Amino acid sequence: MKIVLPALFLISCTALACAQDLEAPPPIITSVKHATDGHVWGALIFATNDATKLTGTNEEAHADLPKLNERLAKVFPFKHFEILGQHRQDIFREYESWVVPSRDLFMKIDSKGPADSGGVNLHLQVWRQHQVLVKSDAILRKDSPLFIGGPPWKEGRLIFVLFLESK
Amino acid sequence: MKHPSEEHDLIRWIDGEMNETERTAFEEHLKHDAALATEAQKMRALSDSLRAHMPAEMHVPHADYFNTQIGVRITQMALDEARSKQSAGLGGVLQWLRQPWFALAGAAALGVLGFFLLTPETGDASESMILSSYTPNTNVQARTYHDHNADATVLMLDGLDAVPAERKISGINIQRSELEPELASTTMYNAQGAAVFMISRDALGNPMISAR
Repeated sequence: MKIVLPALFLISCTALACAQDLEAPPPIITSVKHATDGHVWGALIFATNDATKLTGTNEEAHADLPKLNERLAKVFPFKHFEILGQHRQDIFREYESWVVPSRDLFMKIDSKGPADSGGVNLHLQVWRQHQVLVKSDAILRKDSPLFIGGPPWKEGRLIFVLFLESK
Repeated sequence: MKHPSEEHDLIRWIDGEMNETERTAFEEHLKHDAALATEAQKMRALSDSLRAHMPAEMHVPHADYFNTQIGVRITQMALDEARSKQSAGLGGVLQWLRQPWFALAGAAALGVLGFFLLTPETGDASESMILSSYTPNTNVQARTYHDHNADATVLMLDGLDAVPAERKISGINIQRSELEPELASTTMYNAQGAAVFMISRDALGNPMISAR
């Protein structure tokens, strides 16, 4: 009897511990790494001929995108270009990705896989709050940015730049 | 004009088919009919001439001569049929070429060929490309091209409503994001690692940005 009681006690404790393990919540994974097809840099740029209209931000362009203002000036007839906001974003392979340099004008990206001759196939949607402005299928390649001429604003124009990083 | 029976007797006389009695009676008749006698002489002369120039017997080349001739004839008929079909086919093609729609189809084909030959090469493997664009607002037009001076691909949206000048557009600097598939949302972080906002979709599928 002296042996049986401790044995029953040990079995009960073990069973109780197992039950507690089963009821315990799973550990929270806070930083799951999802598969990606690349990484982009997106920026919202304000173009104007009137320097007094500039907002005064000091955002710097992506280091791999030199002379951005000069290149923009070759496409858009404005003298001044100012980066209002910027966003570095993974292109998720299985999920939609959002590039939101501003709450007013942003982009949704769906990956369609790597392109045959380099770069990545994308489905792009440019949104202006709750209104989609354009849907496009595109191939985005490194060192070849995409300039999207957006809506006019304050006698200037908003421009969305999308650039595939070499990361 | 000869009576048919006289003509028949004349032929039998020339061919020597009459018996002695018949031949004697017929020759007695010729003595009293000068016209018939003249014709009988001419036909006899013609018959003799033909006999003189034709062999008495035709030589059969070989035992299967007639079978061979039948085979040759069948072959000739088959060839004739094939030629007629070929001729009809060529005629059909010619008739097809004469159809008015053929000229239009030819022009369209040339147009397509010209498009592919004359369209400048846009598939540079180093350039980004816009493959297609759709603007739900029909007042908005999307133009796309590659600007070599800027070394950039351009998607120009014309006809968009202007953002009101009084509206303050503030930018955000996002350096990192965390996807939460279970919540169908993405949390955006700034350079300092602070969560700035979360983006998800509302019941209508529209993007919904909420502060964190």
